[in-house]
Amino acid sequence: MSLRFAYATLCGLVLAGIVHIVTVLAIPRLSETDALSRTRSSESLEHPQPVNTLATPASPAATWLPAPDPAVAVGVCAYDLEDGPMRIAARTGPLALSLAVHGRRGAFYAVTDQAAVRGALDLVVLTRAQYDEALANDDENEPSRDVRIVAPDRQGFVVVRVIAGLPSQRPAANEAVQAVSCTIDGEDETPGK
Amino acid sequence: MIAGSQAHPGKPRAVAAGALRTLRGAWRRSAGIGLALYALALGAVLGLASADWATRGGYPFGGVTVGAWTLWPRVGSTGADPYARAVNARRGEIPLAVGEGLLMTAADDDGGRPLDAACTYSLTGATPPARAWTLTVTGRGEADPARPPMREGFTSTEILRERDGRFAITLGPEAEPGNWLPSPRAEGPMRLAIRLYDTPVAASAGSLDRDAVPAITRVACRS
Repeated sequence: MSLRFAYATLCGLVLAGIVHIVTVLAIPRLSETDALSRTRSSESLEHPQPVNTLATPASPAATWLPAPDPAVAVGVCAYDLEDGPMRIAARTGPLALSLAVHGRRGAFYAVTDQAAVRGALDLVVLTRAQYDEALANDDENEPSRDVRIVAPDRQGFVVVRVIAGLPSQRPAANEAVQAVSCTIDGEDETPGK
Repeated sequence: MIAGSQAHPGKPRAVAAGALRTLRGAWRRSAGIGLALYALALGAVLGLASADWATRGGYPFGGVTVGAWTLWPRVGSTGADPYARAVNARRGEIPLAVGEGLLMTAADDDGGRPLDAACTYSLTGATPPARAWTLTVTGRGEADPARPPMREGFTSTEILRERDGRFAITLGPEAEPGNWLPSPRAEGPMRLAIRLYDTPVAASAGSLDRDAVPAITRVACRS
């Protein structure tokens, strides 16, 4: 009897290990509060959805990040490459700006405004097929200045961070996040989509 | 019951023995089902509880310890371990990407004692190279609405430095001259976070020296 009990306990422990691994791997997929699910609604916007708005004399800080940086304004543009490649255009200003492209498994590309060419930072996130198409359509005499990034997943989001070194720069940081544009690239672009 | 069957020999005894055998068989079968149910329940409860425990709060592993600080170079990258990804998903966190920045956290002082909001600490030294950095202190739980909102941290731009570029921050409940960072709560544990932006450190976090990160020294405690 005690041998059977020990055997059942052993089976239970092995099962617990399997359940543990499956649960941990399934959490990012099943979570409804992760960044990817929360930013899904911003897909139709042309400017980043504010995620961490810095406190200014006019308005208090607004965020859903668990531990936000009180000196960094954060905005997010979600993309679904089914609709076409995603173009992110940022103009550099006096404040430090960085862009990071996240897929399902984490960030796969990041760039700061120090990589900007003539004050402009143009990123195009596309799938492998869209990348090949863009390459084939390139004009040899006038090479494209875009930074093209092939995304591993169809869905993801681009994070815009602007650092306000001083409290007086916070309104400017909030505006700098909103000044970035995220549009769907391509000739079948319909306004408002 | 056995005594009863022994007292009446013959046919009733055989019937009783048969009944006993059936009963024992049923017990064994039900014990088998019971053990199977026990194993299933054990697996489900232990598996779910341990998964919940491992992905609750902070990242369980993957950090690089330098002095009192823990650096988290990989939590935002595609090479993050499944636990870090699950923690990020549960908290709704957007981690810093490798080329973007690096998160450093501290929950203990240099002596290994947990950071306490009732104590005064001195943070001295320098940070690893970065274009900009921010230091933030957080307490546990919701903020007390009666406490006026005060400074939550410093940025590399606004901090007052020594002549050699190093800095000294006083973290404590009482106002101090210089770089004073007020305790976020009246009591309880605190956590410090330094976010380095645009830093080359992420690739070489393991080779950082203790002198490259600020020292956290406990000065005094209000009892």
